[in-house]
Amino acid sequence: MKPPPFDYFAADCIEAAIQALADAGGDGKIIAGGQSLMPMLNFRLLRPSILIDINRIPDLAYVRDDGDEIRIGPLTRHRILETSDLIAKQFPVLHEAMGYVAHLAIRNRGTIGGSLSHADPAAELPMMSLLLDARLEVQSNAGRRTIEARDFFLGALTTALEDGDMLVEVRLPKLREETGWAFEEVARRSGDFALASVAVIMDSDGDWVSDIRIGMMGVGETPMRATEAENILTGQRYSEAAVAATVDAIRAAVEPNTDLHASADYRRHLVGILAQQALAKAWDRSRRASR
Amino acid sequence: MTEASTKQVAASREAEELATRPKIVGASVKRTEDPRLLTGKGAYVDDRKAAGMLHVAFRRSDHSHALIKSIDCSAARKADGVVAVFTAEDMSEVNAVFATSRMKNYYATPITGLATDKVRYVGEPVVGVIARSRYLAEDALELLDIAYEPLAVVIDPEEAAKPSSALLHEEAGTNVLCSREFKTGDAEAAIANAAVRVSGRFRFHRKTPTAMENRTYLAEYEPGRDELTLYTSSQVPGIIRDALSDALDMPGSQLRVIAPDVGGGFGGKASLYPEEIFVAFAARRLGCAVKWTSDRMEDLAATSQGFDQIVDAELALDAAGNAVALKAEVIGDVGAYSIYPWTAVIEPVQVVSFLPGPYKIANYHGRVRGVATSKPPTGPYRGVGRPTSTFVTERLMDMAAQRLGMDPVALRLRNMIQPDEFPHRIGSGIIWDQCAFTECLNAACAQVDYPNLRARQAEARAAGRWFGIGVACYAELTGIGSRISVAPGMPINTGTETAKIAIDSTGAVTAAFGVTAMGQGLETTLAQVVAEHLGGRVKDIRVIQGDSAAVPNATGSYASRSAVLAGGAATLAAKEVKEKIIRAASHLLETAPEDLIVEDGKVSVVGTDRALTFRQLARAVYLEMGRIPADKREELTSTKTYDPVFGTSATAAHLAVVEINPDTYEIKLERFVVAEDCGRLINPMIVDGQVHGGVAQGIGAALYEEVVYNDEGQNVTASLVDYIIPTATEVPPIDVVHIEAESVTTLNGFRGMGEGGTIGAPAAVANAVADAVAPLGIDILELPISPERLFRLIENSKNHKDPSHGHET
Ligand SMILES: Cc1cc2nc3c(=O)[nH]c(=O)nc-3n(C[C@H](O)[C@H](O)[C@H](O)COP(=O)(O)OP(=O)(O)OC[C@H]3O[C@@H](n4cnc5c(N)ncnc54)[C@H](O)[C@@H]3O)c2cc1C
Repeated sequence: MKPPPFDYFAADCIEAAIQALADAGGDGKIIAGGQSLMPMLNFRLLRPSILIDINRIPDLAYVRDDGDEIRIGPLTRHRILETSDLIAKQFPVLHEAMGYVAHLAIRNRGTIGGSLSHADPAAELPMMSLLLDARLEVQSNAGRRTIEARDFFLGALTTALEDGDMLVEVRLPKLREETGWAFEEVARRSGDFALASVAVIMDSDGDWVSDIRIGMMGVGETPMRATEAENILTGQRYSEAAVAATVDAIRAAVEPNTDLHASADYRRHLVGILAQQALAKAWDRSRRASR
Repeated sequence: MTEASTKQVAASREAEELATRPKIVGASVKRTEDPRLLTGKGAYVDDRKAAGMLHVAFRRSDHSHALIKSIDCSAARKADGVVAVFTAEDMSEVNAVFATSRMKNYYATPITGLATDKVRYVGEPVVGVIARSRYLAEDALELLDIAYEPLAVVIDPEEAAKPSSALLHEEAGTNVLCSREFKTGDAEAAIANAAVRVSGRFRFHRKTPTAMENRTYLAEYEPGRDELTLYTSSQVPGIIRDALSDALDMPGSQLRVIAPDVGGGFGGKASLYPEEIFVAFAARRLGCAVKWTSDRMEDLAATSQGFDQIVDAELALDAAGNAVALKAEVIGDVGAYSIYPWTAVIEPVQVVSFLPGPYKIANYHGRVRGVATSKPPTGPYRGVGRPTSTFVTERLMDMAAQRLGMDPVALRLRNMIQPDEFPHRIGSGIIWDQCAFTECLNAACAQVDYPNLRARQAEARAAGRWFGIGVACYAELTGIGSRISVAPGMPINTGTETAKIAIDSTGAVTAAFGVTAMGQGLETTLAQVVAEHLGGRVKDIRVIQGDSAAVPNATGSYASRSAVLAGGAATLAAKEVKEKIIRAASHLLETAPEDLIVEDGKVSVVGTDRALTFRQLARAVYLEMGRIPADKREELTSTKTYDPVFGTSATAAHLAVVEINPDTYEIKLERFVVAEDCGRLINPMIVDGQVHGGVAQGIGAALYEEVVYNDEGQNVTASLVDYIIPTATEVPPIDVVHIEAESVTTLNGFRGMGEGGTIGAPAAVANAVADAVAPLGIDILELPISPERLFRLIENSKNHKDPSHGHET
């Protein structure tokens, strides 16, 4: 379990990092927290010719209030997001989810840029970026562009990032203060990747659901939005029957994998249970907030 | 100084004195090894660096079962930093090692450093590359070209046992490496006539020990003297020394095997490994130091594994709930080789040996077959066979209680060997000496207020909660002496232990043993025993262990033996040294021996302030010639061997409380209680620690840990992401109640207890889970029980399919 040989370059600015990426011609890898990359190197699953270290680039780690958006630097460690007051206030659902990311030692190192770029189907941040309609700022020698989270995750460990791309910022459009939310997850042990997880944000208008977003993970090759289920509930009066129809739609829509820890059937069962719980909690919170 | 602080100082001095005097054995002395181990100053094998040391990386088989057609090492030999590349062909001068036994129906497979002609499991070492660094060695592995001819994979032990199966060892003529049978009375007839019968097909899946420190071997070689020293993270350095002496044709005087600080063993470091043979061979061949450190992937692929049994068992009782017969047919999947020295037999045979447990069951019939498969060998794992036997018997007890409408605790108490019924011989032939079976169960129940707990359960059930209570009782044999070897018929002696105690010319006390510490605190507990019987201070006693050169026969630590055997030897040797101290002091102080007392590291005249410290005494004995008449001078040393001859029983009752989420099927342990009898306690704090650790491993076995091989024989749990072990968050608070029923058969009344936690916990957890889901009509017959397995059982029962539960209808 030793990595194959590689060169190492510590970039001191974004431009140097993307230049090194370009020079490597698709053979270079950015290293951020190293929490996913190092195991892959040690298992010799990846053989980059060069590692481009972005840890010494100043000002890549931040959580900033920018009017309608919160902007997050790619090198922001999980632990910083987890303990950020700004995140707790603006995105309580994200705050809650961060507590489920791995173990403290890993959260101290792992970064949002690394987690999104790595795109594990059972990782919390990709799912959160989808739920919160994140906009991902990407930079390469060709310039800078924005990729919507919904266009970013293409498959397990596969994203819309191209060779030479570096994720340089994550922007999260703010939610209404009254927005209800919930995050539910089942994992084998605390800190493990999720067997299944459901997150909901919901706005209510009296007895009616005015807006709802449902994110899921562990039940497909990428994190997902339960689009059909969202449509069923949007503009509906909140009721047990409406929730049941939503849950049915979710269970019908997912095509989970069977692996060592959970079968597809069990995951399908779980995602329904978690959706039910998450919907109830989010509804409750949105109602309480708007009262 | 204020009055209060004076008082405080006096009080703390008094406490300190109490800790070292008058009873050192029995005190919760803080572990003397901990300051070193907890501040990163321990010295494990991998911490050791020898001049010019080379590093080994192994190319391991990626086939489950295949012939090796050819190996091309030419490119690897030329790679950067590579010093040598060896295959089995290069090791022809090394003798194969066999775990022989006088047992009938047993076949011993050859154990070699590298696979010869054939590979028999994924992960078996085939080629060893030796380079200037581990990185370079691993780079060169990729340049090796090995051609295999795949053979039929042998994965399912029941299929493997059939004559039609492909054979792993053709010379054996069968994959059934061993079979045994125990019979007392007529179990079949008793079962046929019984009022109540419960049965099941129980499955306890394969497990791996996962010690925190991976196996590491460093061989240092002195060409001028042809002397080899192997530093090994082993529980059994003495056994390794003897085996290597045969393998390498070297006398023990030129071969020294040392286990320095060892980071956990749990049985996984209690056997001889191919890598150990290889590293020793390579150092001698190359004339320099060679090191191999297992990585976690190698550990999961090639360290001896545990459990893996299928047990068809049936328990019969009369209408009043008295057990009358037990019958079991066991298949143990023992993997590809018969491990040295324990043999492939150790784990499955212990299952049938211990199935009757602490109960009176007049008729017993147990049969076992150990079947080779193309997986790594199983070996001793904490508890050895008894986690499975306890799981089976204790589940059957609960199933019977349910059937009889009796409380499971009441049923157990009715069937247990009562305090006035010892010694008692169980159906497999094991004899239990006086031991606190019923006392432990009663104490565990008292600790949780059992009737009240059942009432709480009734309330929880009424509220739709899945709340379960599980008890498990077991008995084990520990501190086994020379008349009952740990594995029968083996050419090694596990039944005696030697202590060599010396006071040197500086007055320092050194106590050397053949045992080895893997973290269990022997440095402290043995020092306590020596201090008690010598009259020394714990902190002044240097304990040496884990060194084959320390005593002539040093087997190591396994089978819950060290406290009983080394503690016994320490007692004998310390007493003799104390007698010598008194004789010397009697001359020096001109006092009758009966007026002298030895304590706190000095010898003094009773009722006076005349005293000699050990240092003063030692100088007089060794250096100041003339103070003691020449013909009365004796070295202050003693070497004594202790043999408990039979050994002694040990027991515990475990009680688990679980709550299962009825929606997600997540299983949460709410509480865990252990009431245990390990005889006289040497150090209650250390016993608690051993129980905690053992229970945590038992919880792992019950709920999380499973080594999975797929149909191609690939290990699909090859990392700790997939092979999951409980962490602090998965282990509930554990209460430990000590029932100190001193053993009458061992010196000091000690009983062994290192393994017990792992023996009782899986069964207790299984029973608690089964109890929680009992209203659904589901039985738990398979461990580990995961949410996924629970989900499937529940789905099956919903669909009115047979949830494969064992009740007769
Ligand atoms: C035992 C364990 C348990 C874990 N459990 C969880 C869990 O429960 N939930 C969870 O979400 N995660 C979990 N993780 C993963 C963890 O969150 C990682 O920190 C995260 O996935 C990767 O972040 P990183 O900064 O370490 O990235 P790295 O490992 O440094 O990089 C990962 C990948 O992203 C690329 N990359 C990094 N930064 C950028 C960038 N700015 N632009 C472009 N590409 C980039 C790298 O080239 C690499 O391909 C776990 C990890 C471990 C080791």
